Parts: sequence; C-alpha cells; structure tokens
Amino acid sequence: MILDQLILPWLLAWLMAGLGAYLVAVLDRWMATGSTQAGSVWLAPLASAAWLLTQQATTTEAPDAGAWRLAPALYLALAATGLALVPWSPTLVGVDLATSLVLWGSLEALATVVIFLHGWSANSHLALIGAYRYVALGISYLLVSMFVLIGVALPAESLRWTEVVAAQESLWHVVSQPLGLPLFLVVGLGLTFWGPLDLADSTDLSTGTAVERSGPPRLVWALARAAMLVAFSAIAATAFLGGWMGPWLPGPAWLLLKSLAVLVVLLWLGRRLPRLAPERCLTLMWVVLLPLSFVDLIWAGAVALWMA
Amino acid sequence: MTPSLATHIAFVVLAALAVLSGWRVFCTDSMVRASFFLLLSFIAVGGIMILLTAEYLGVAMFFMMAVEMMVMALFMVMFMMNPAGLNPMKMVHQERVAIVAGVAVFGVLSAVAVLGDFPDMPLPAEHAPVISLGRELLGDSMLVFETAGVVLLTTMVGVVVLSSRRGRYGRADEGSVPPGLEPGGEPAGRPKESEEEKGEEGGHAHQHHH
Repeated sequence: MILDQLILPWLLAWLMAGLGAYLVAVLDRWMATGSTQAGSVWLAPLASAAWLLTQQATTTEAPDAGAWRLAPALYLALAATGLALVPWSPTLVGVDLATSLVLWGSLEALATVVIFLHGWSANSHLALIGAYRYVALGISYLLVSMFVLIGVALPAESLRWTEVVAAQESLWHVVSQPLGLPLFLVVGLGLTFWGPLDLADSTDLSTGTAVERSGPPRLVWALARAAMLVAFSAIAATAFLGGWMGPWLPGPAWLLLKSLAVLVVLLWLGRRLPRLAPERCLTLMWVVLLPLSFVDLIWAGAVALWMA
Repeated sequence: MTPSLATHIAFVVLAALAVLSGWRVFCTDSMVRASFFLLLSFIAVGGIMILLTAEYLGVAMFFMMAVEMMVMALFMVMFMMNPAGLNPMKMVHQERVAIVAGVAVFGVLSAVAVLGDFPDMPLPAEHAPVISLGRELLGDSMLVFETAGVVLLTTMVGVVVLSSRRGRYGRADEGSVPPGLEPGGEPAGRPKESEEEKGEEGGHAHQHHH
C-alpha cells in the first residue's frame, strides 16, 4: 500500500518533472538554433544548469524572506502535483481523486499566487511590474481554462481524469470539441509564461519576476516552468487526445507520445507566434478568447446531450 | 470507516497550520502578506475538508480562495495607493470590539463543539461525495442554482463590457478630465488650459475643430 500510494506516485511525478524539464530545454534549444552549431543541444542545458548551481544566490534589499525563498520551490511543487494527477493507464495513476480535474484547476489558480509572490517578494520594481502583469493576464487565462475544463468534464459526467479519458472511447474530445484544444494550448503558454505570452518574465522587464534571481533559485524557477509545461502537455493529452487510448502500444506509451506531441506543438507555437503588448493581449483574452470558450462550453453541452 | 493514524496526524498538522497562519494575518504589517497568510489558513481548512471526505468542497476551497485572495490583495493595494503593498500598516482596528467579538465567538463555537450532539454514523462504503453534492445542488434547488449561475455570468459579461475602454463613441477615457478640487472648479492636477493653448498650439487652433 505504501509502495503503491506513496512511493510510486512520488517517483512518477518527479521523474517526469526532471526528465521532462530536461527534454523541454533540449527541444527548445534545438528549435532555437536549428542545428548543433552552438554546442551540443544535449549538453548545453546541463552546462547552464551546472553554471547556475555554482553561482551565488544573491538577494535584494529587504525582500519578503519567506516568499522570496519559497516561490520557485512552490511553483515546482505545483508542477509535480499536476504531474501526479495524470492517468497513465486505467490503473497507473499517481493520485486518482474524484475531483482531480478541479484539483488541476486549483493548481492553475495557485500558480497565479506563486508567480505573483515570486515577483512581489523581491522588493524590486521590475519584478513587481512583472508580478502585477501576470495577475492581470493570469485571471483571464484562468477563466478560459475553467470553461474549457468544464466542457471536458461534461461528457464524462465526472471530475475524475480517468473517467474523462474513458469518455473519449468512441471519439476524442479534440474532434468532438474542436475549440477546446486550441484554447487550452493558449492557457498552457500563459500558465508557464512561455513564448509570446512570456509577458511576466519578458525581456522588456529584463526577465520580469525573475530579474533579481540568480544561482540555484533561478535554476529551480526555470526547472519549474519547464516542468509545468510538461505537466500541462500531459494534462492536455489526457483531456483532448484520449490519454492512454490507442492500438498496439501499451497505455503509458501512448500517453507519453501524445504528451510529447503537445509539448512539441507548444514549444513550436512559443517560437512562432508573435508577441502582443500586454494590454492588447488582455483585450484579446477577454474579448476574443473568453467568448470563444463560452461557445466551446455550449458546443460541448449540445454534443453531450446529442450523444446521450 | 475509522480514520487511520495518518489521518489524525494530518488533521493535527493542518489544524495547527490553519490557526497559526490565521493568527499571523493580524501580526503582519503588510496587506499582501496578510492576504496570503489568510490564503494559507484557508488551504489548511480545505485540507481538513478533504479529510472529512468532502472532497469537492475541499478542492474548490483551494481554487476559489487562491483567486479570491489574489484579487483581494490586488484591490487593497490599488485602493490604498500603496503600490508595492509594503508600506507598514496596522492590520488590527477597533481592538476592544474585536476582542469582545472574538471571545464571544470562541465561546459559542467551543460550546457547540463540547455540548453539541454530533452524528457518529460510519460513512457507507459506496459514498460518492461529488455526486451527492451535485444531486443536492442540482436536484431540488436546480432552478435557484442555475439562475444564480446565469446571473453571475451575465454580471461578468456586463462588467467586462462596462469596464472596457472601447465603446461605440470611441475610447472611454478620451476627452475626460479629472474632477475639480471644489465643485465646478478647474480640473485637479492639470496645467491651466489657457497657458497650454498659448504655449503650444497658439497659432493653429483652427486645425483642431471637429
């Protein structure tokens, strides 16, 4: 019981977080350089991680001590909790709660708090601007994410990820709810502030909430963002691409492949999409994406009624 | 279903965390810190709810309180004109009233805990809290619940529309002036209109007619 319920989920989540974050770093670098000319893509992330580990972790004048130390670790913990919710097969699930879908939603909400604290606690103006910027944007992603997730839960008649996957036996949600996955991918880029939605940690604020970070905490912050992206890909594959379902291969292999596909799409979108100014981005979220998520929800409800 | 030792330990830890962080809310001197200590306290209470097998309510507590405390902290900072939320300020007011109210509430709650008659029926094995909560909300009170939901959604859309800067007649803040210091007076915090006209656009005012 202890092996099943404590050690296995723990190992699964942290292995996934560690290996996944490494993979994100490799893929992102490969997409950026397009070749191995700038050193080995496999070794470069390890080299920069080692470099950060040997650096001194500087601090600011009068930071909020608790939040300043904890924020990167808390974000990593949220990512790991997210990974623990992913169902690899009908039986191989880290944490199979009756409300695991709502728990994922609350991780997204708590991420807003953690990112705000990361910027706020530094007691430095650029970090503070990044933090406020994330809150303004984060609340709009949260709403979109909530409506999309309700749409996913409707046909399953359950808030459990395993049953959400089981409800996609005949037809994956990516087909029956065509608006869901694109909207959810935007949420994913926003949640990890990746690519064009990297507005909280963007270069115009000289890395925003992370501006005063150096050394190991900076490494943990980068690791946490990458791990969150991996957790998000796995959840998106579970919600829209039928999770463990597929012919020939065993369930976990399918989930791994699908998550990898979502991850690659996210990283590619992160490199390709143009960046918007924060206020225009906010308008886009509230005026375009939020109404689209209402449409997605109505669509999901209508399809669920028609199928039932 | 008798609770295991782990459940007991978890309850004690979570309860201590809830009380300690709730107490810290009143000891800190920053609004932002106070909000997040309150959030920590609520998260611990949500954990206790999960221990009581009210799974949905517990997890929904994390969800709602995270956003709520975030928004609350932000609004307090905005209204107090305290951009970093770091200016030291006192978190307790009307101390005598607060002490009396606190002691009274503590007395009532302890009386309920000590004298109350709690049910001690074991939970049925097939108990499904999410489903039973759903039936409770969407069974008899479906109409009320759904009406409240639609009203909230309409309010949300309405607020977004009203607070949007873009409107049918252009941007909402275009041509607006700050209110005067006395009724009908000059706009506060603006240079005198006449000086501006003379200084900058004196000769070609005719180009600006609409």
